Amino acid sequence: MKFYKDHYDVIVIGGALAGLSAALMLADKGKDVLVLERHNLPGGIATSFVRGGIEIEAALHEMMSIGDKDRRLKVGKFFDDMGVDVDWIKVPEAYHAAIPGLEVTLHPGLETFAREVDAAVPGTYDKVLAVLNLCNTVFDSVNELSIHPMSKPQMLMKHEAFVKTAGYSTQEVLDTFGLPQKALDLLSPYWIYVGTGFKELPFTIFSVLMADYIGYGSFIPRKFSHEMSLKMAERAEALGVQIEYRQHVDKILVKDGKAYGVRTARGDEVYADYVISSAYPNKVYTSMIEPASAVPADAVKMVNGRRLSLTAFSVILILDKSAEELGIKDYSVFHGDTMDTNKCYEELKGLGPYHYITCICHNLANPDATPPGTCSYSITTLPRVDGWKTVSADDYDRVKHEVAKQLIDYMSEYLGVNLLDHVLECVIETPMTVAHYTGMWNGCIYGYAHTMEDHIVARLQTAEAEHFIGHLEFSGAHQISGDGMGPAVTNGRKAAKNVLDTMAKEAK
Amino acid sequence: MKVKGFLKDVGGASRVSKARLAAFENASPVPVKDDPIGNVAREWHPGKLDLVVTDVRPASKTATTVRFERQDGKKLPPFYAGQFMVVDFPIGESLISRPYSNSSAPDQARLDEHAIVEIPLRRSKGDGFICDYVNDNVKAGDKYRGMIGCGQFYYEPLRDAKHVVALAGGVGITPFASMAREIAHGTLDMDLTILFGSVSSDDIALKDELDRLHSDKLRIVHVLSGDEPDWAGERGFLTAELIKKYSADDTTYFICGPQVMYTFLRGELAKLNPPQRRVRFEVFGQAKDITAFEGYPQEVRDQTFQLTVVRGVHEDVIPAKATESLVVALERAGIRIETGCRSGECGFCRTKVLSGNVYICPEGDGRRAADKDFGYVHACAAYPVSDVKIKIPIE
Repeated sequence: MKFYKDHYDVIVIGGALAGLSAALMLADKGKDVLVLERHNLPGGIATSFVRGGIEIEAALHEMMSIGDKDRRLKVGKFFDDMGVDVDWIKVPEAYHAAIPGLEVTLHPGLETFAREVDAAVPGTYDKVLAVLNLCNTVFDSVNELSIHPMSKPQMLMKHEAFVKTAGYSTQEVLDTFGLPQKALDLLSPYWIYVGTGFKELPFTIFSVLMADYIGYGSFIPRKFSHEMSLKMAERAEALGVQIEYRQHVDKILVKDGKAYGVRTARGDEVYADYVISSAYPNKVYTSMIEPASAVPADAVKMVNGRRLSLTAFSVILILDKSAEELGIKDYSVFHGDTMDTNKCYEELKGLGPYHYITCICHNLANPDATPPGTCSYSITTLPRVDGWKTVSADDYDRVKHEVAKQLIDYMSEYLGVNLLDHVLECVIETPMTVAHYTGMWNGCIYGYAHTMEDHIVARLQTAEAEHFIGHLEFSGAHQISGDGMGPAVTNGRKAAKNVLDTMAKEAK
Repeated sequence: MKVKGFLKDVGGASRVSKARLAAFENASPVPVKDDPIGNVAREWHPGKLDLVVTDVRPASKTATTVRFERQDGKKLPPFYAGQFMVVDFPIGESLISRPYSNSSAPDQARLDEHAIVEIPLRRSKGDGFICDYVNDNVKAGDKYRGMIGCGQFYYEPLRDAKHVVALAGGVGITPFASMAREIAHGTLDMDLTILFGSVSSDDIALKDELDRLHSDKLRIVHVLSGDEPDWAGERGFLTAELIKKYSADDTTYFICGPQVMYTFLRGELAKLNPPQRRVRFEVFGQAKDITAFEGYPQEVRDQTFQLTVVRGVHEDVIPAKATESLVVALERAGIRIETGCRSGECGFCRTKVLSGNVYICPEGDGRRAADKDFGYVHACAAYPVSDVKIKIPIE
């Protein structure tokens, strides 16, 4: 029985946001695309599940790069352009920061945000706004340069702030503003969405993060991230993309230095001119390329020279009281016994107890997220893979429950309510859960750590030289733009663009 | 603008590029295939395993316990007491899967040698085809494929009360047998009272094996509905009064048994009015008679429709009876589809309806909201009411 065409233009391994974005863009340009997804639905961790009749968001906290309808950012615009019509809900606040001695809710809008920080830490308005404006300037440059590359002297003329901050860590740049610690603390919480402490985090990344989220706000799909993933998949299929679920790709077939197809776990060999892999380069270069001899030593050195970033641990509770009854006031709350991002990053190396925690109550952005009289409350920390790599299959359940209990107790104490008295459903998601459903290397949802040794500006400059195998592109958190559901879309588009560029070049 | 000085500032981009290349240059050229987090995930969820039957013994007058080991002799995956396994039975041209709760304890699956899982099978009254086949044919040495660790029906200490009253009927004792064994083994910390409804004292599934396990953490109360003058224990049905007698102030109720018992117990539990979070029903199972549900279009009940099945670029057309789920039609035609709970909840058999109409069993409809918008169904709980075209994964 024959389930595949004889040949495709492009095979995309992985039907999550990056893979689907690549497929959409290629199909939009008339290419014949096959997407092979290991799970039985699209989206990877951008998904939902149903427990006890209640649908539960699996992973999404807030989508960046969407923007309001009249001032879309790049991801929002891409969805609009592709005809992916997501029912976006704008999250009301930026976040609530809950740090010892500081309880502040901050809202999007650069001036609004600066004013609210000033109300909590008087006399800081000008400096905070200056930081945010600098971030915004860098953000604009990054967006423009990603579309219109230019020479270095030109760049220095037109994108001075971007050029002059590119070589510095977030800490180095923030230090020059002389902000009081409390104001710095209020600017820090989002660091966890990019996953490295400020002494290592490139200021460029911090800028994009702050300008995007604080400048434009964040969004969630009304019917959970599954709505977004499914609408992408449905639209791709309408454009002629063939999507096959429950297909594990074991091998990427390579001949004369070029990828020409894949082999699935079922044993199907499928052929294409190009392959886009959402599987990590670590996995691809160590066990997926056939023949293995086609992997150059530099490819292995590259993956060995990079540090895996964060994975995720969430306890998702459906509680049998409303958010109001439980005293939960904000959609998104960042908790820490400190906002010293470097210390927090250290702590994430272990298996807990964890003190940097982000909580989401979906009902506070989407009142209909759960049935009346209940609410959904997720408690998340984003550990590094190091600690979790040491957990054995036999210890797994014990460790998972210990960590979950610690997180629930921590939040119960904060709220002054014993959450354990209200649990209608309790789902614990671990790095292993991520690995199980998505196959992500070591359950790492964040790709490679953003550091000064693996800087986005450097990634952009050396990307061309990192094509170790012809006609093979990568898409996913492990690519240039890094982690997050917004960047996943950008990473997927980049992979598709590379394919289209190569096609055009080789056609000449 | 200035951060540290003009030259240092403008040199940033080259500096970070050099740093990155240096990091790669200094890295090891030895491939690291190590994915320990993925390995744990695979150990827990290896998918379908090649199993062999190593023992078949009576569980009662009308039920049989079947024991499985792995063909390769390795450990079985960890699971939670109360979960079910899915077994594939090749019967003639068909390949039929069924979920069975495990009666063995999780620790028995983790033994270094002869790691086992067990399922009791009862000779049927309803879903006769497969039950009778299995009872008549399964014997030691048979090879089947099976997936272990499915479903949500297990004790979750972060959710459930420490004191659990299990309400079991017939072969519905199975998940509680697993919990009882794990409590006896010392690896499940809960207080379990099982109210086990049977008809007659000489046909109680797993009676001897379970009665041996009594302890201060585990009580098994047999409740007989049949007329037996000599019976000294509890009698009748699992009524609100009886349930209350064995409940603590804070009790979680776990319920597993035949569908008629669910209907009855919903009424009895309503009288006790426990909080919603304290009541947990095992999945309903395949509807015994789909035409009995509200909204079923009775006019099609005797019809057989054409079901077009798309897998990749391949299409088949097969017959599908209006009273049988899409999964059953596929299995009869020998087309493989992954299934789990066969109750509409788990979504293993998530299927896209490309055209035509289906009736969805309202009991336990576990679909996502966006899936409903785009015509996705769980094929085990979807019944054709016209000619239908579906797309399913290639297995």
